[in-house]
Amino acid sequence: MSEPTDEVPAPEADDFDPTAPMPPLKTWSHLAKQRRRPSEYEVVSTNLLWSTDGDMPWALNPEIPLNKWYLKYRNGSPLRHDDWDGFRDPDQLVYRTYNILQDGQETYVDGLLDEFSEKQHDKGLDEAWIAALARLYTPARYLIHSVQMASAYLVQIVPASTIENCAMLQSADQMRWVSRIAYRTKELSYSWPDARFVAGERAAWEQERAWLGFRELMEKVLCAYDWGEHFVALQLVAKPAIDEAFLRQLGIAAQRNGDTLLGLLLAAQMADSDRSRRWTRALVDYAAQTDGNRALMAEWIAKWEPLGDQAIEAYCAELPDNPEAAREARRAAGEFRASCGFDA
Amino acid sequence: MALLDRSEWYDIARETNWTPSFVAESELFPDEMSDPYDVPVEAWETFDEPYKISYRQYVNIQREKDAAAYSVKAALSRQRFYESADVGYLNLIKMHYAAIALSEYAACHSDARMTRFGRAPGMRNMATFGMLDEMRHGQIQLWFPHELVGNDRQFDWAHEAHHSKNWAILAARHSLDDVMMSRDANTTAMMLNFAFEVGLTNIQMIGLANDAANMGDYTFQNLITSIQSDEARHAQIGVPVIEIMIENGKKAEAQYAVDVAFWRIWRIFAIAVGVPMDYYIPLEKRERSFKEYMHEFVITQYERQLRDVGLDRPWYWDLFLDDIENHHHCQQGGIWSWRETVWWHPVGAVSPPEREWLEEKYPGWNETYGYYWDVIIDQLVKDREEMTHQNCMPICCNVCQFPISNRPGPVWKARVHQTDHEGRRYNFCTPVCKWVFESDVERYAGNETIVDRMYNGTIQPQTLDAVLKYMGIGVISEGGRDGHDYRWADPYRPVADAAE
Repeated sequence: MSEPTDEVPAPEADDFDPTAPMPPLKTWSHLAKQRRRPSEYEVVSTNLLWSTDGDMPWALNPEIPLNKWYLKYRNGSPLRHDDWDGFRDPDQLVYRTYNILQDGQETYVDGLLDEFSEKQHDKGLDEAWIAALARLYTPARYLIHSVQMASAYLVQIVPASTIENCAMLQSADQMRWVSRIAYRTKELSYSWPDARFVAGERAAWEQERAWLGFRELMEKVLCAYDWGEHFVALQLVAKPAIDEAFLRQLGIAAQRNGDTLLGLLLAAQMADSDRSRRWTRALVDYAAQTDGNRALMAEWIAKWEPLGDQAIEAYCAELPDNPEAAREARRAAGEFRASCGFDA
Repeated sequence: MALLDRSEWYDIARETNWTPSFVAESELFPDEMSDPYDVPVEAWETFDEPYKISYRQYVNIQREKDAAAYSVKAALSRQRFYESADVGYLNLIKMHYAAIALSEYAACHSDARMTRFGRAPGMRNMATFGMLDEMRHGQIQLWFPHELVGNDRQFDWAHEAHHSKNWAILAARHSLDDVMMSRDANTTAMMLNFAFEVGLTNIQMIGLANDAANMGDYTFQNLITSIQSDEARHAQIGVPVIEIMIENGKKAEAQYAVDVAFWRIWRIFAIAVGVPMDYYIPLEKRERSFKEYMHEFVITQYERQLRDVGLDRPWYWDLFLDDIENHHHCQQGGIWSWRETVWWHPVGAVSPPEREWLEEKYPGWNETYGYYWDVIIDQLVKDREEMTHQNCMPICCNVCQFPISNRPGPVWKARVHQTDHEGRRYNFCTPVCKWVFESDVERYAGNETIVDRMYNGTIQPQTLDAVLKYMGIGVISEGGRDGHDYRWADPYRPVADAAE
């Protein structure tokens, strides 16, 4: 047996023997040109989509709706790069490391819930804050679920598996918090049966002034079907707005109202958002290798930012004991975009 | 512990539908991505997944599963095993990884479609787990064969196959694109989660795990069993969808989706599972024939599952039963005869004791399929190996893409079924593939099989070498040769000598 090689030799035309054994490889042929040992992440995450190989996404008639959809919203997106498959997640998470990471995080959250329940934390909160939670916290499962859905749209429409995986884990992270918010909704209802926990969230999400901005933003983001625009609207506008208004500023209000548990839960959720921001920034940088992409993304930001700011304003205006909330949240969301190279 | 039980909060986490007011419902859930059946959203909201799990439980259970599967000890034992494994079994592994790794990953798209466009919140959450499961199955089934590319370049197909234009992959991709990649969320759930996963995959896993255990490949057995435990969970998405469809007067539509998908996946499944089971697994290790296995694990169970969910047997049931007796035997003959076109080393596996077994399991095999092999054996014993290769192109079906074939010998049952559409003639292997085509002509028309590409000039020059390279042979890895160097034909030599 010959030594493994990095080369991918093309067969000679004249003496082509289709069954002549070819030398074994050190890694997948498509990674061999790197000339270094690939990581587990690279081995299991790179170049996994077949629908980006040719001109037609799916091996069926070009006129079927799903071919037209992918041709228009993915292949036809003005956000272009010659090699989307070259993108790498800065965290290099794979499925198995994601579970290790999040199992640990969930153990931490279980510990928090257990500890605060033992201390009868909920009974000690005051009534005005409980009313605020019913209006401003527990309805958020609708908001976070909309991000779960929007992230799942990215999963099916992005042009590379390495981007798809980031979006997939982000979608799963949202389900994590939908679950935890549902958990807290039920738990709060036991201590405060008259506060309309469980029964009131949908109406709050659909009608409360605080949520109108976020609902408008997310309904419109969900319908932004061009993959590039969806990425910008979700990752650079909507998620930062949610992170800064809901996670950060609600967390500050919670601390001021003696709700240590909520402050810690929102901080734990922020750790997931920080990871999301790392790959978002990396993808912006990667896309910006192609001329024109940064300007295009800036245009999309300019289009979506007013909706993001409006959502922040509407939500933060209702937060008790946090008069600086809106200004701070807008500043921090802008700061994140600035860290991605987009100045306000 | 003062933690709440999952059942206390679970329903709240799946009450996440709202009425949009800033965009139209039809814009948020376009028919082509979501629900073309006009089932009211209130009906979808009754979706109740039979298997419930929380995110917290999921990451914990899956972490533990992976800890076992990825252990260093298991990796070492796999390596040792593959270095001494029979080539027939290695064929099974090579076919499996190439066919499955990227297909499983592709199913992340299908689940993502349900997570985004499903109208039932419970479905959206289940499909989120489904996405993660498929990511796992893609990644773990890339990691394992990657360990083997240093032993054998044909394992590179685990990653490259679906990027290639190999005839077997063109067939697989056409089916997978049809069934799981290019449909709305609800049709995808019926086709992928029910017909494909409940109908065939779950059971395929049981068969594969059995084969692996019989061969002593315990780490592969554990891997497959572990994957199967995920499939069993997310496959459940299809059942409530079909029930809701039927309750809302859409039984015919559900029946159609399930019947198309079951047939399409069956045509691949028979090759990926049937050929290894009846030919590649060494005779002494075979537990049951593919046919027995189909009857025991698929037919009885699938019939019951159809009944339970409120559907009927497919109209083509008798044709399906007949196909169980034929399709994989035909393809075994074809694959062996065109062995340089595949990325494994097909074994003939028709020595006298093997033929005896085949005749016992498939009465009449010797007079029909045996007739095909007799011609090949005759050439081999006359030392005319070169005459056992096919140099012409078969006619391929314009739906399943496989060479059109059927029972050979005196009965000669091979027929081409045809239809004309917009000035072009399309060929089909069976009335079922013809029905699939005619039921949605606009979807399938324009298809080009590998043979169409040869004749219409897509493949240039029009030589056998060019076709092989087009298919990735000699590019990704070498193509196949007889895996046992024709030793299976040795027992025929004295008999032939005596006859002369």
